[in-house]
Order: sequence, then C-alpha cells, then structure tokens
Amino acid sequence: MATAILERQADPALEARGACHLSIQGVTKRFGTGAKEVHAFGPVELTIEAGSFVSLLGPSGCGKSTLLLMLAGLIPPTSGRIEIAGTPVTGVRTDVGIMFQDNTLVPWRTVRGNIALQLELRGLDPARHTRRIDELLAAVALTDFAGRYPYELSGGMQQRAAFCQTMVHAPPTVLLDEPLGKLDAMTRERVRRDLQELWMRSRPTVVLVTHSIEEAVQLSSQVCLITPRPGRVHETIPIDLPWPRDDEVKKSAAFAGYVNVIGDVFRAYGVM
Amino acid sequence: MPLPVRQAARLATFPAFLALLILLWQKAIDWLAIPAYILQKPSDIVINAWADLPRLMSYTGVTALETLLGYAAAIVLGVPIGLAIVFLPILRRTLYPLLVSLEMVPKIAFAPLFIAWLGFGLLPKMIIVFLVCFFPVVLNAIAGFSALSEELTRFAAATGAGFWRAFLKIRLPAALPQCFVGFKFAAVNATVGATIAEFIGSDQGLGFYIQVQTGNMRPDLAFAAIFLLTLLGLALFGAVTLVERLTIPWDIGQRRARQS
Repeated sequence: MATAILERQADPALEARGACHLSIQGVTKRFGTGAKEVHAFGPVELTIEAGSFVSLLGPSGCGKSTLLLMLAGLIPPTSGRIEIAGTPVTGVRTDVGIMFQDNTLVPWRTVRGNIALQLELRGLDPARHTRRIDELLAAVALTDFAGRYPYELSGGMQQRAAFCQTMVHAPPTVLLDEPLGKLDAMTRERVRRDLQELWMRSRPTVVLVTHSIEEAVQLSSQVCLITPRPGRVHETIPIDLPWPRDDEVKKSAAFAGYVNVIGDVFRAYGVM
Repeated sequence: MPLPVRQAARLATFPAFLALLILLWQKAIDWLAIPAYILQKPSDIVINAWADLPRLMSYTGVTALETLLGYAAAIVLGVPIGLAIVFLPILRRTLYPLLVSLEMVPKIAFAPLFIAWLGFGLLPKMIIVFLVCFFPVVLNAIAGFSALSEELTRFAAATGAGFWRAFLKIRLPAALPQCFVGFKFAAVNATVGATIAEFIGSDQGLGFYIQVQTGNMRPDLAFAAIFLLTLLGLALFGAVTLVERLTIPWDIGQRRARQS
C-alpha cells in the first residue's frame, strides 16, 4: 500500500519530490513597534531532518504557530533565515502543504471537491488525479463520504478530509497547526492514527504544532519543546519508540517516561 | 393518527387559520354594521375587483415594471460597486463612508424631488425603487466580500493562486450567501419604494390606484390593489429565493443542518 501513494500519475507537479530538510537560523519575530512591540518568538536555531515528524510543543502564545506561518512564507521573520530544501524562504512557498486549526474545507464543495480545490488553486486538473484522491480518501476511511458536504460530517471526519486536502498535491513538507485542537478526546485518538498512517505512507517532512504532550510523543520522531513567550527551543527530544505507535506502544513504560520527562520541563516553567 | 394524515394536518394548519381570519372579517362587517365606505366584505372585494379587472391588471403591469427595473438596476450596479469598494482602498476610504452615511437618510424622502425633476413617468419611480434597494445590496455585498476568514485567505495564498483564480474559486462563492441576504432584503423593499413613488406623483400603477380609490371612498378596490401589491412582492421574493436555492444549495443545506 505504501507504494500506491508514492506511485503518482504522470503529472510532473505531483511527482514524488522526496521529503525536504528544513533549517531555521536565528529566526525571531516581533509584532508591533515602539512601546507596543511584542517579542513573540526566538531567536531559534533548529534543523529538521528530511522525512522526520517533528512536533513543536509549547504553551499557547509561545509563537509556535507563528513559526509555522514563517516556514510557509506567509509571514516574514523579523530577523534570521529559514531554508527549505536548501533554498531560502523569501515569500509564499507553494511546495509545502499547510493546515490550520480551523480547517479550510469550503461549505460549497463536497469532500472530493474540497480535495480537488487544492489542485485547482494550483492550476492542476483534478480529473487527472482521481486515483490519488481515491487513495487518500481510502487511507482515512472516507471513501463512502466523498460526495458529502462538510456540514454533513462529524468534526473528526472533517479534519480527516482536511488532511487529504492538505496532502493531495504530495507536498514534500507538511505543516500542521494544531489540526486536532478542536476535537474531543476520543475522536482525537482516531484522527491521530489516520495522520500517522498518512505520514508513514509517503514520509514527507512534517512539522506539527501542538500543546498536547501525548500527541507529540505518539506521533513524532522528535519533539521540540518551546518555552513560554518569547518562544525559544528549550530542548529537542528524539522519541525512540517503535512505529507504528499503536495502543501497545502507548501503554508502554517508555511512552509514559517520555510524557513525564516533557511534563517536568513545562512544570519547571510553571505553565503546567 | 397515521403519519401522512398528521403531516397533512400540520401543513393545513396555517391555510386553515388564514381562512378562519377571512371568515371572521366577512362576518364582522355584518355583526359590527361597518359601512361600505369604511371597509367591505372579502367576498365583495373579490366581486368588485373582478369588475375592474382590466385596469387592475394593466396597473399591476406598470408597478411590476417599475419594481423590476429598479431592483435589477440596484443589483447590476450594487454588486460591482461593492466589489470595487472591497478591493480599491481609495474607494474604501471615500465612497464607503459616504454610503454608510447615506444609508441613514430615509431614501423615500427624495421621492418628491425625483418626481419634480423627472416628471410623472417610469424613470423617477425606477430611481426611487433603485434607491431603496441599492443600499442593502451594496452593503451586504461589501460585508460578504470582505468577510473571508483568515484561514481561507492564507489557504489561497499558500497555493500560489493568482487574484482571479482565488476570487472565482474562494472569494466569490464564500460571499454569495451574504449577497443573497441583501438581494432578499432589497426584494422586500422594492414594492414599498414603487408604491410610495406612485403615491407622490403618477397617473397609473397600483399605488396611484390605491390613492384614487381611497379618495373615492372605495376601500374594497384599494384592498384589491393592496392584495395585488402583496402578490407582486411575494413573486419577486419567491423568484430571488428560487435563484438562491439554485445558486447556493449548499448554504441552504448548511443552514438547515445548523438549525436541527
């Protein structure tokens, strides 16, 4: 099945491009000017290996979502330099897939139409990528809901559809801004599994912003702990647990150990 | 009761209530001995209106034309002007505050001036209908086109889509529900504008007819004209609602899902 997703139809725009290496060098972000200036973030040095799944974990307001927007080139850093795959980010990077906390499913299109929207906005013909869309829908168990409108879906189904929308153009870099933040606890578990499945199939570089320690440990190859504002990297912890991170792994002592170690860091900062 | 019968009973409740009210009106004229020059029975209204049907029909046509032309002009001009205000910052700082201030002016107060300037013909009525319809159309279009969520704005930007592609695929459909709010509000205003314009100065149309027949102590015929005006308003509103249903069926479904 893993090859099924990688095996793209003959559109060079959707050719597998391999995951990208991300480099964040001395990046800071300040908002406002003069007395009202807020030092939101940084300076941060961070290297994210190609194909890894990195969580940016930190309290709200620490600037982790700001970093994600800077990675996508949607807002510029105040200082410092960001590189994706060796080229500096100077404006909007169309070679990433970005997903926001409030999903970008539009109410006037079905699930399939919403996934196609990503392609259409990029000037691609969705009719040439029906197999890719079908495979993504199958991967998140939404095949039977392809013709439904977002308002006909549960919150969890909407987020799973939104993952397909974010990844349909096979971006080598995927940026996720608290995609599970608004889901209830049980739905979250389910959608986490789907997200892990999608990542393991094609292994793009994923940067996930979250404030859930469990979520970060379960999904990530590295967890990057961000301090309270102005956000800096406290520590990057490699998560050495077997894949896939199923229920057995989650029940293991090692899993609980990671959760505790990370919890202690944030307790020391007084945010927990 | 079996289900279909219960459903039919529910559907029939309002028509039955209306019928009851009309019956009450019919009887009350006799019970209270109301003189014919004050108010007449619904049955007499129908009979007397039937006798004057050709004139009523031709006047309905006149008023309908004024209403439709003014309404259409409000949409044809209102939506593009709203778009221009949303996308041109200079208009947003000049024309937009002007429109918001003018919105406070009772548009109908201009009606006598337009009649004085332009005479008794079709044009001044059309302009007055236009005025009462234009503001809801343009202000709702502005609201619709400027209310795109930050997420969708960023989503479109992140794909690298150009202005027109993002406009057609995201901004336009996202704005349509709010635009239709304006269209429907304007449809309700339109017949009001036409009627008052005819009150002020005209020699034909249903508003003119109501004034003349009220002066003649013929409330029955005035009521007939009011009924036709109501039908005209309903027809316009119904047509706009139908177009809405065909254009943005997803929004109807979404609203219904939210209600239940």
